[in-house]
Amino acid sequence: MAPVTSPILHASPQQRRRTRAALTWADLLETIGLAWSSLVSNRLRSALTMLGVIIGIGAVITMVTIGRGAQSQTEQQLKSLGSNLIFVQSGVAATNSPASQGAGSATTLVWDDAKAIAHAASSVAHVAPVLNLRSQVVLGELNTSTMVVGTTPEYQPVRDFLPLTGRFFNQAELDRADRVALLGQTVVDSLGLTPSSALERTIRIRGEAFTVIGTLEFKGVNSFRDQDDQVLVPLTTMASRIVGVNAISGISLDSISVSATRSSEMEAAQYQITNLLRLRHKTMFPRQDDFVIRNQADLVSASNSVANIFTSLLGGSAAISLIVGGIGIMNIMLVSVSERTREIGIRRAIGARSSDILRQFLIEAVVLSLFGGVLGTGLGVVASLIINAIFGWRAGVAVDAVVLSLGFALAIGVFFGAYPANKAAHLDPIAALRSD
Amino acid sequence: MIQLVGINKTYAMGEMLLPILRDIDLTIIRGEYTAIMGASGSGKSSLMNIIGCLERPSSGKYYFDARDITTLNDNQLTDIRNFRIGFVFQQFNLLSRLTAIENVMLPMVYAGYSRLERRQRAEAVLVQVGLGDRLVNRPNQLSGGQQQRVAIARALVNQPDVLLADEPTGALDSHTGAAVMDQLNELHDRGLTIVLVTHDAQVAGRAERIVSLHDGRIVAP
Ligand SMILES: Nc1ncnc2c1ncn2[C@@H]1O[C@H](COP(=O)(O)OP(=O)(O)O)[C@@H](O)[C@H]1O
Ligand SMILES: [Mg+2]
Repeated sequence: MAPVTSPILHASPQQRRRTRAALTWADLLETIGLAWSSLVSNRLRSALTMLGVIIGIGAVITMVTIGRGAQSQTEQQLKSLGSNLIFVQSGVAATNSPASQGAGSATTLVWDDAKAIAHAASSVAHVAPVLNLRSQVVLGELNTSTMVVGTTPEYQPVRDFLPLTGRFFNQAELDRADRVALLGQTVVDSLGLTPSSALERTIRIRGEAFTVIGTLEFKGVNSFRDQDDQVLVPLTTMASRIVGVNAISGISLDSISVSATRSSEMEAAQYQITNLLRLRHKTMFPRQDDFVIRNQADLVSASNSVANIFTSLLGGSAAISLIVGGIGIMNIMLVSVSERTREIGIRRAIGARSSDILRQFLIEAVVLSLFGGVLGTGLGVVASLIINAIFGWRAGVAVDAVVLSLGFALAIGVFFGAYPANKAAHLDPIAALRSD
Repeated sequence: MIQLVGINKTYAMGEMLLPILRDIDLTIIRGEYTAIMGASGSGKSSLMNIIGCLERPSSGKYYFDARDITTLNDNQLTDIRNFRIGFVFQQFNLLSRLTAIENVMLPMVYAGYSRLERRQRAEAVLVQVGLGDRLVNRPNQLSGGQQQRVAIARALVNQPDVLLADEPTGALDSHTGAAVMDQLNELHDRGLTIVLVTHDAQVAGRAERIVSLHDGRIVAP
């Protein structure tokens, strides 16, 4: 029988396949394409489902960018204090908070301490003694409350403060206790002056007349205070004319700013200063030190640890929204599986293995979440750039957060798609075929 | 080619076991055109699903090409459906999102043919069933008769050993139904083994051989 030969029914045994070919990359690409077209056919629903992931990923990237930006901002401010800087402050260490500036108010340091440090500590480059007093500064009708800082010319190299106009006071003026002053830019503004017009003007501090010999370069506000809201005067003048108190042991100080010779000498300098002051203050164990030493690294790491907590809190809360997005995907995939039960039955009947069905739905979930992830990344990058522009940050976009988020989106697709896909794969073909 | 020995199928209905097929013995040889006829609810589709390896019998032996089907795992059964059996259903069961040619290519996707091969062969089969000009139409753009011919093309595209048709004319008017039956006869004339399920004696009469089913048992016609 079968006199008519048909190319369809009578293929040679070689032509006729009896076993499956291995899965190729082309097949995988095709499955992805199929998943894509199935998502496109349900455009609104897919978009709404992706929204959770879009917002989640966008939020993670933006939040991490904000956290990092704030952190690098703080780091820059701390660097603006000067380099290789060590602070020695009067008073007993406050033990409860590492980030605290708060040594006690008792002024236990004296100028001789500063001189001794400059003389004896080999790892120390410059030493600037500091005596502070908050006070009114008056120019004619105008006055402003500012921080009056008594110090020495060493303040310049230690704190990296250069005059914007005029000059710093010199050793001779310090020795004579001349009534000369340098104004920070905030004070210049408050007194209605400009950096150039301020020169040679006479201001009054606590009734004493001071000649302005310079204004200080702009430093900006750091996390602790406005570095431009200060007036510098010679320490000797400060002690005799403004504070008006000289202890028997010499001029009292609030703090001593020290710069180490090199950053690698920071630790050595700190040891030398500590030992020297313990000897001078006779505070060997078990007596507690009456001074506190901090360096820039301490301040940076304290502020970093705060910023890190801040960043992980922001990132963490954004990650939760990402998980909510994942649950949305799971939900819609479950709906999709039950809507397409018959399709699954048909595919199973004509030769789809349960692993084929599993792959189909898993890839659909991954395409959904990954595409949402790409859109969310776009959103996050744009938001990050806008925020950077607004705050003038140069931190850029958190690239690792972008990579991590996309990985996370992939993982979410797999994780939240696994249950619906597994459910689809294990439907009974007959039951699926009979459903409608 | 197909040999059923003492096949039983029961469904659990709550506490009760509901027998659907009882002691079915049936042998179908290569090239045969068999009609399974019986009233609605007599178990025809259940028998067809077992022959089609979509379902396992509750007891009994099923040999497909001398191979005991009841010992195979799910993937092996799936592969038999894919490579050796073609299904045609009463409700056509095409995927509405896919075009005619995409529907026909589907069994070849799971068999792992290349894209080019798939397209060429699917097109050839669609031309053979007279739908060469409807390749990229979706099912809702086709008449019932055309849809059923797409389904027949899909059943044939992997060159099966046997074509199983469950009430293939059930959703068609008598005229288009007759055209589909002509198509099956033509395929049989070319040597294809066909098992047809129907409740319609006239349709069954187109086959070489009629097996009557009553309450899950094979009875004399
Ligand atoms: N999954 C099932 N659970 C319980 N009963 C079923 C199931 N599938 C079919 N049946 C019953 O088995 C009987 C035979 O069904 P079927 O094989 O579809 O008959 P036919 O195709 O001859 O109309 C019917 O009474 C039907 O209700
Ligand atoms: Mg039926």
